[in-house]
Amino acid sequence: MEPLPLPTTLEEVQRLIQALYSQNTPETITAIQEVLQRLQKSDQGWQLAKSLVESPQDNIKFFAALTLIVKLNRESANLSEDAAKELLQNIVQWLLDSMNNGTANFVIKKLCSALVTHFIYFSQLWPKCLRQLVYCLDIGRSVPVEALDEALQTNAVVGNLDSRKMWVAIQFATALVEEVGKTDMNSAKFLQVHDRLVGNTLDVISLLDRGLTRTEEGCSQVSLVCFQAWILYAQRATTENLTTPLKTLVGPAMNCFLIEDLFQETAGLFTDVLQNYSTFFTDAHYADLSSLFDSQWAAQLYNQLREDTNDQDGMSFGLLLLAYGDAKVHDLMTSTDEVSQRLLDRLVGLLAANGYLVGEDNIFVPTLEFWSTFVECVVDSSFSDETGTQSWRPYADQHLKNVVINSWRKIQWPPAETFAEWDSSERVGFGDARKDVADMLQSIFTLNGVTLVSFFVDLFLQSLQTQAWAEVEGSEFCLGALSDCVTENPEYDRELSRIFSSPFFDLLSEAQVPIPLRLRQTGLSLIERYCEYFERHSEYLPHALNLLFAAVGDSVLGGPSARSISTLCSSCRSILTGEAAAFIRHYQTIRSGQVLDSIAEEKIVHAIASIIQAIPQEDVRLAMFEDLYQFIKQDVERAVQLKAQPGILNLADPNFSRGLENWSSPQPVPGPDEIALQIALRALRCLSSMAKGLQDTKDHVVELDAENQQAPTNGRLANTQSDIINLMAGVQSTFGASGEVVETICNIFRAGFSETEPGPFVFPAEVVTQFFVRQPFATPRLGTLLSTACSFVGSLYRGPRMYVPNHLAQLLPWVINTLQTLPEPESDVEISQNGIVLVDRIMGRYPSVVFQLQPPQLLEFFFLFTLKVLNGKEPLPKGAAADFWSGFISLKTEDPALQNTIANAMAHLGPLFARTLMQNIGGNAARSELDKLSDPLKKLVASQARAQAWLEQVLFDEGAFPSAQASHEEKMVFLKKVMALRGGRMTNQVVREFWLACRGSNFTYAS
Amino acid sequence: MALCQNRLQEERKQWRKDHPFGFYARPQKNALGVLDLKIWECGIPGKEKTIWEGGLFKLTVTFPDEYPTKPPKCNMFVPPLFHPNVYPSGTVCLSILNEEEAWRPAITVKQILLGVQDLLNDPNPESPAQAEAYNLFKKDRVEYEKRIKRIVRENAAP
Repeated sequence: MEPLPLPTTLEEVQRLIQALYSQNTPETITAIQEVLQRLQKSDQGWQLAKSLVESPQDNIKFFAALTLIVKLNRESANLSEDAAKELLQNIVQWLLDSMNNGTANFVIKKLCSALVTHFIYFSQLWPKCLRQLVYCLDIGRSVPVEALDEALQTNAVVGNLDSRKMWVAIQFATALVEEVGKTDMNSAKFLQVHDRLVGNTLDVISLLDRGLTRTEEGCSQVSLVCFQAWILYAQRATTENLTTPLKTLVGPAMNCFLIEDLFQETAGLFTDVLQNYSTFFTDAHYADLSSLFDSQWAAQLYNQLREDTNDQDGMSFGLLLLAYGDAKVHDLMTSTDEVSQRLLDRLVGLLAANGYLVGEDNIFVPTLEFWSTFVECVVDSSFSDETGTQSWRPYADQHLKNVVINSWRKIQWPPAETFAEWDSSERVGFGDARKDVADMLQSIFTLNGVTLVSFFVDLFLQSLQTQAWAEVEGSEFCLGALSDCVTENPEYDRELSRIFSSPFFDLLSEAQVPIPLRLRQTGLSLIERYCEYFERHSEYLPHALNLLFAAVGDSVLGGPSARSISTLCSSCRSILTGEAAAFIRHYQTIRSGQVLDSIAEEKIVHAIASIIQAIPQEDVRLAMFEDLYQFIKQDVERAVQLKAQPGILNLADPNFSRGLENWSSPQPVPGPDEIALQIALRALRCLSSMAKGLQDTKDHVVELDAENQQAPTNGRLANTQSDIINLMAGVQSTFGASGEVVETICNIFRAGFSETEPGPFVFPAEVVTQFFVRQPFATPRLGTLLSTACSFVGSLYRGPRMYVPNHLAQLLPWVINTLQTLPEPESDVEISQNGIVLVDRIMGRYPSVVFQLQPPQLLEFFFLFTLKVLNGKEPLPKGAAADFWSGFISLKTEDPALQNTIANAMAHLGPLFARTLMQNIGGNAARSELDKLSDPLKKLVASQARAQAWLEQVLFDEGAFPSAQASHEEKMVFLKKVMALRGGRMTNQVVREFWLACRGSNFTYAS
Repeated sequence: MALCQNRLQEERKQWRKDHPFGFYARPQKNALGVLDLKIWECGIPGKEKTIWEGGLFKLTVTFPDEYPTKPPKCNMFVPPLFHPNVYPSGTVCLSILNEEEAWRPAITVKQILLGVQDLLNDPNPESPAQAEAYNLFKKDRVEYEKRIKRIVRENAAP
């Protein structure tokens, strides 16, 4: 939209203002605003305000007041003292006129703000601004500041004001403290304004002391608001001249509690101050509040709240009570007097208001917050109190016991039909409240460990007898919450055995009666949480696992059950070795009848594999392994076959429909190729879970000088291994285009790398090496393969040394050839980074392998490649290249011939590297890369005699150095400092400063 | 040190009072069950209507002695989260957590956790921290999203 032309007449302006406040399109409003703002800022602004303020229309008057504020903020410096005085007198007069002629309150408030803005710029002209205004209000006209009688008693004048005038004065006092409060207290510009503001304190007290008792025209309401604004300011200003007088108003303000119309504001004020500035109140104030809370009046509000937390007055009262409790928590904890005890009883009672969490009962969560603080207070004092006499402790314990009971009741699930009616935020809120309760119970546990456990076990057993399912679930939930705290201790085990020897398992297996789904869920999770208990009490383990297996097929319980099975089997593996065959049968039965969730299935396979790992007899172990592996092998064979003969697809057979997991109904059913791929992927993931399950949990000693241990001596194991390798190769050749296939194969290899004992996935190094070096550049996720190869090299280094160089010598050309095939060094950062890391790792341990590489051009390419990467913009490969150079520069070997080769290479490459490095430090690098780049610089300076010459060469070559910002001297100083530091830690700082100098002074971190 | 403890107490109070739905954040407890305010265990839900929806991701926030002058450190490990801005060590790379970038002492725990939640679906390709996720994010968005969906299933919110 074109900018509007400036209006030429007052009528036009008024029309524009009216249009601004009417319904209009956003574009029109923006255009009007723009033209009006131009007008306000123009020289005619003052005159405009003056003319508009006379208007009978509120919107136009409001705009006039706004114009005054804009002008004052922009042009105060241009006003002479006389002009400012005249302006002040005018604004006050306009305010009085508006008050008398029925102008709307919002205009009056804006005029008060204009007066305050005047005060901010000209406070020296009327330091006693409030008294000036009150005086003018009293006599009904605006007078010059000089006319104010110094001896005038503000409270006397205030006493003359009618309620309308009082209201205006209070509005001004509020705007005064709020607006001045927004200016910077510490800046010299406003220091005096703040001082003069505080100089008005006694006048404010006179005004509010009277205002708080005048109920007409809402005077007391606005007085409370004004009082709160002054307290807020006092908190920041922390001057006694302000806080001490303000405290005299607490009593009158407290009286407002009892006035029905004022209760909300009063409660808001007191709650706010208790929460944010509790030291404002004196002991006497607290005593008064305490007796107020002990009164009949309080009892009524409290009951109202317990009845219905949506009752506004009740809720405000509850929050007030909690704020008081929070402010006095320590005193309340250590007091044993009756009033305090009654108050604490009430706070306990707030956990038992009517209705369900959190949609109906809004007070529970804030109350729980108070009790959590209370518990932490008790915990702190029991761990730090040296006196040892805590006569209050039994009282506190009794309250906490009631807190626990109330919380236990509240976290019980509602009937399913009620829950179904809740919206999502109510549901999440309920879950969150349960978590908060769990959190608090953990703190209480610190105080009452076994008593608390025993308490919930009792509740569980009682409610089990009466089949009160919600209570049973609540007890289980609370016990589950304590699982992280319960340690291995016969005392706790005795309590837990009372649960697990009860009909707990029968209950969950629904042997007698059906139970709610949530109860089963919580029960099953209780088993998982107390997994360590089952390790010590294997007599219950079969019950637990049978239950979990029975739930695996369930759409809701399946996932968590599989997770529990996996945790239990993994940690109780040595107890369960005799069950491996039974579990495999279990697995077979489940998967022949239905398609399991793939993640649940992987957990189960992992569980069984971890039991197999613990079988001591090698033959039995291998036999069991083969049994489980057969499922995977068959799946893979089926997938390969389906890919070759799409016609065999039969989606009624779970063996095929397991390939449909990622499909959901509106999408078209995927074709046989896709289904085949999914079947293969699921199988590979299960294989990967097997490999992880088979990982040994114990440490074994490695004999570094031994012969190559990795070739299995057991023929059966060797066959299994080659079968697995063939299977993976088969999948890759059939589904080679899938990145997920490659990624999963990598995971399978990785699982074996960490192992030191022979096993199906601990492949001979030669086999692994061959697998890698046969991977062509076109393989998807080649970067992941390279990172897996890095892990492989790490595992070689942990094992016997004998054949390591041989494997490295095969891997190295493969890596460099791969890098050579990259179209650009940055076209695949994962390949670049991992390729460089791999060569770095080889060079660090076996430099001879690197420097004997044939043909030598490969190595030359690699060095130049790292320099290109260093010159690039990709932080990850760049970091790897910097590390590589750090390693290379400081490379030392015991072989003189090899050391000579390295030195020759350095002599040749040093200048090139110095050039690249200095171009980065000279401004090309990103700030976050500087530390990484400082490393090779430190190494260069510390270990290379020619470092200075190389660095100099780039620094002073204008064609090579990237920045014209750094002067010759700065470069000299940099070089001198860096050389003098000889690779010391401070180099990083010097680099940082020099880089900043090269970037130029306008640099901020964001660029 | 006292400043750090006071501020953390205050953070805890504020969090209890007001925290976004589905998140949790609580100080760790030591062996005696006493809170260690300097290490918090947190959970961040994946944002609604993004591929991260339905997941709940664990995060450990460690506060240094110099907090709030210095920022806390956030870790998403075991295993390190697959995400362009999470280092292989699990450390989250986010400008508001960097002393040299956008950290300010006024930043609250709530803002940090919301910041990490935003980062999940809106990675910053300017500051890659792990090659695997970064590369896949840049080169093959379809595969990247597939992988995220799987991670979400593995870390499903209860």
